[in-house]
Amino acid sequence: MSEIVISIFLLIGAIFMLLGAIAIIRLPDAYTRINAATKASTFGVIGTMIGLFLYFSYAHDVISGKVLLTIVFVFITAPVGGFMMARSAYHAGVRIWDKSVRDDLKEDLKQKINKPEH
Amino acid sequence: MLHSVAFIVMCILAIAIALCLFRMVKGPSMFDRIVALDLLGITLIGFVGMLMIVQQTLVYVEVILVLGILSFVGTVALSKYMEGGVVIERDRD
Amino acid sequence: MPIQILLNLSIAIIWMLLSSHFSFSTFLVGYVIGLALLYLFKSFLKFDLYFTKIIAFVKLILVFIKEMIIANLNVAKIVLSPKLKAKPGIVAYPTELNSALQVTLLSSLITLTPGTLVMAFSDDRKTLYVHTIDIDSKEKVIESIKTTFEKGILEVTD
Repeated sequence: MSEIVISIFLLIGAIFMLLGAIAIIRLPDAYTRINAATKASTFGVIGTMIGLFLYFSYAHDVISGKVLLTIVFVFITAPVGGFMMARSAYHAGVRIWDKSVRDDLKEDLKQKINKPEH
Repeated sequence: MLHSVAFIVMCILAIAIALCLFRMVKGPSMFDRIVALDLLGITLIGFVGMLMIVQQTLVYVEVILVLGILSFVGTVALSKYMEGGVVIERDRD
Repeated sequence: MPIQILLNLSIAIIWMLLSSHFSFSTFLVGYVIGLALLYLFKSFLKFDLYFTKIIAFVKLILVFIKEMIIANLNVAKIVLSPKLKAKPGIVAYPTELNSALQVTLLSSLITLTPGTLVMAFSDDRKTLYVHTIDIDSKEKVIESIKTTFEKGILEVTD
């Protein structure tokens, strides 16, 4: 029974990591890739690490806090990494996809440039 | 049974790593490569975890933590470098 | 509020000393007893019971997990559909939160729910620029973030 639960967690994690990789291949521009890849990978890490934790507490009677710490760590760092990548890409001038429906940031940046410095 | 599941998961993750490598080689802009590198680091974490199940050992836990830290620091440093050419800005307001 | 936590911790430590059995489980029992005592004497305390904040925090986490699972499945549907029909775009999201901690928490939660990614802040921290992978309308995106996360964060920290 517990083996089945562990396998389900591991497989969910692996499938979401694969999904992130497919998203990187299929999506059209850098922003959508960052968007999908960051979170699919976070979800994948949660799945595999919970599976790993359950496996070691079930088969070896070891409660490994470090494995759970990995989840916390990825949770804290993944949004920061995604934010840094997207912001830097925008400032470096990477184009947004042609079929995007709106771009509020561009308008606001333009306004700020046109406004004189007080 | 769990061993075979671990092997299947390793196969899936290997495919994911191959896709990431493809994007790293092809990626039109530098930021596509950085995303692929980030995802590759995360996928490696899962891979090493499966290796722990196959080899029945807990010693790779530190490897997992260090991989997570390295992938995060690498991502942030690379994207800051690509943005302005410097990693640490001296004159922050 | 800090005085309550201090009181609770000292009750727990006193319990641990009284039972002369130093382990995490006795500490936990003492902590629960301290919570019960604080609840009994809550009319004498000047502030609200800090435990309500913890309940609000747990509720926020549960909402977050639910949103995360739903949105992950959504992104999976977008990525695996044979023709890409996604309409990505950048939405300016006006926030009412003002402290740096609250804005950081909000942007982390927004980024971790798939489909949305915080890209930039305005200088006065009042506007977040959110990249969304599939927009129906700007109002819907703002509405969904406002009702799920911003309300929860306001309940936890203020």
